[in-house]
Amino acid sequence: MSTSVLELTNVRKSFAMPGGERVTILDIDAFHMDANEHCALEGRSGSGKSTLLNVISGIMRPDAGRVIIDGIDIARLDEARRDRVRADKLGLVFQQFNLLPGFTALENVLVAMSFGSGRPDRHRAVRLLDAVGLRHRLDHKPAELSVGQQQRVAVARALANRPRAVLADEPTASIDPAHQQQVIDLLRTTCTEQGVALLVVTHAADVAEQFPRRVRLEDFNRAAQGHHP
Amino acid sequence: MTLLGIAWRNIRQRLLTSLLTALSLALGVALVVATLVTGGIVKQAFESGSGLGYNMIVGAKGSPLQLVLNSVYLISKPIENVSWDFYQQFLPATERPDGVDGTFAASTKTAVPICMGDYFRGFRVIGTNAAYFDRLSIGDSRPFAFSAGRNFRDDEFFGGVLGATVAANLGLKAGDPFAPTHGADDGKVHDPFTVTGILARTDTPVDRGVFVNMEGFFLQEGHAKPVDEEGEESGARGEESEARTAEREKDADGAREHGNQGPAPLPFAQREVTAILVETAAIPGLPGMPDLPAELTAMGLRTTINEGRDGQAAEPIREIRLLLDLFVRPLELLLLLVTTLVVIVSAIGILVSMVGSSLERSRDVAIMRALGARRSHVLAIVLIEAVLLAVGGGLAGWMLGHLLVGAIAPLITTNAGVSASVLSAAPGAELLLVPFLVVLAILAALLPALAAYRTDVSKWLQS
Repeated sequence: MSTSVLELTNVRKSFAMPGGERVTILDIDAFHMDANEHCALEGRSGSGKSTLLNVISGIMRPDAGRVIIDGIDIARLDEARRDRVRADKLGLVFQQFNLLPGFTALENVLVAMSFGSGRPDRHRAVRLLDAVGLRHRLDHKPAELSVGQQQRVAVARALANRPRAVLADEPTASIDPAHQQQVIDLLRTTCTEQGVALLVVTHAADVAEQFPRRVRLEDFNRAAQGHHP
Repeated sequence: MTLLGIAWRNIRQRLLTSLLTALSLALGVALVVATLVTGGIVKQAFESGSGLGYNMIVGAKGSPLQLVLNSVYLISKPIENVSWDFYQQFLPATERPDGVDGTFAASTKTAVPICMGDYFRGFRVIGTNAAYFDRLSIGDSRPFAFSAGRNFRDDEFFGGVLGATVAANLGLKAGDPFAPTHGADDGKVHDPFTVTGILARTDTPVDRGVFVNMEGFFLQEGHAKPVDEEGEESGARGEESEARTAEREKDADGAREHGNQGPAPLPFAQREVTAILVETAAIPGLPGMPDLPAELTAMGLRTTINEGRDGQAAEPIREIRLLLDLFVRPLELLLLLVTTLVVIVSAIGILVSMVGSSLERSRDVAIMRALGARRSHVLAIVLIEAVLLAVGGGLAGWMLGHLLVGAIAPLITTNAGVSASVLSAAPGAELLLVPFLVVLAILAALLPALAAYRTDVSKWLQS
């Protein structure tokens, strides 16, 4: 039996424009993901993909609705508690990898562990980097790693605190086509091995078609429907 | 990885900036430490002179402070001389040729004359008698001690005792000859004296003194008060006849040839002293009445002398206190103000450094926040960075400051007459310095810390 790891219900998010007018970016009746599910979320530019990820990860609070992560409605939590849920329950992979440049590969994973509920576990960090093929690059800083290796560190870091879901925002957009497939394979394989749900935001159809579930944001975000920038 | 580890890594990431910031802090703190310690040493130098086993200095009319500076601290110029007859008024009948108590003998426990005006390789020469080291003491009760040799006897006209600093700096030892010069280092060279003893260190101006037997001092050219044939003073000083000088030098030679025994002292009529160091006596009370304590005796004696025409009496402790109140404490306050400003400027260095790296920091903060760091975490990381820089720079500066003091210690010891070394400290202010710096660093880092606290995560991640 599959349990839900992510549920969005009646989520609304709008922003005030400089003139005072409010523009609605998200208007979602329902969206959910099951545990272990791998899903590709497509959407054109401006459809609210980044805002949706920010709302799911608790970086932004919705104006209304429920955002339930592993049974916890983070929309009702204050910022500090949302931060804690994000650290414990979610792993984030960014388009630009966003590794900390002054920290080694191992330290980048350990830093993520520092903000979770558990104690930083060096052995687990080494194991994660080993799992993504970077056992021999533990003490290398991002600048000393190839683009592919940096993305592997980002994947290992996303899994540092045993999250229930990994959210990847355009993880292949900044890398050459030869490495794109490796990144997708790595994400899917690793998340499968770790029993973690995977939500990949992408605008690349060839990436999306590799996922068992493909959804288009415009299909369930009413705020994006009819917008053709 | 702890927040401390993250902060430390951030510092290492911006190694050059961090090192420059810490260096600027270190230099500021070193300056402060060196200033505080040196200021403390100067104060100690003055306070150390306040207890020399005598409570009154009698000298020629003029500035009492100058009298004290000259007699106690061996700095400044002597005012003038007082007559030998005036000095004799402090002596009891047993020590006077006429066998009659001097006018002030009843109020005097000890009176030691000093004569000044000569130098030996940069150090003051003080002509005195054996009582200086036999009867006076360091502080209230500690007797003078000799690290080598002994005190000169009163009949050793050309014997001398060297202060510890003098002996150490000039490499002289007991038995060595030394010849003072008249009036200045490049003045006429006097007859040689012989070192009979080296004083153990006292941490007082005495360490910088070259003490010679007053009898030998009197016999040097230009030291006798000119008098006419009838024994009356004869006009301008230094105009004594060549015949008289030659006669006296002959006497002095005779004295040396006879092991400094022998009748060659300068006649009393030709003698003067620069000052008299007086320890006042308690006066026995009338039957059934308590004794008059030495402090009250001093007050009465001071009034009597100051009302007379022969000289003035100054109380060293009173003058030193005045000196401390008038000069040293305000100077200390000024130094404290300057050093506080230096530390504040150093703390602003932290602010500038952190604000300068805020763009780079914002991205890192956004990443950490996205990974689940709370605002309090990033606030703490920035503040810990500031504290690490302050503690690192502060401790390095503290050590550098002491090394500076150590480097100039020989100069301080020579000129201030107090021991100074790399371990010299200004305990109160020094202990507060690094904590004060840490507090300032935290205050200075609050601005960048709050900027980090308010970092817009989504904006930075998208950019």
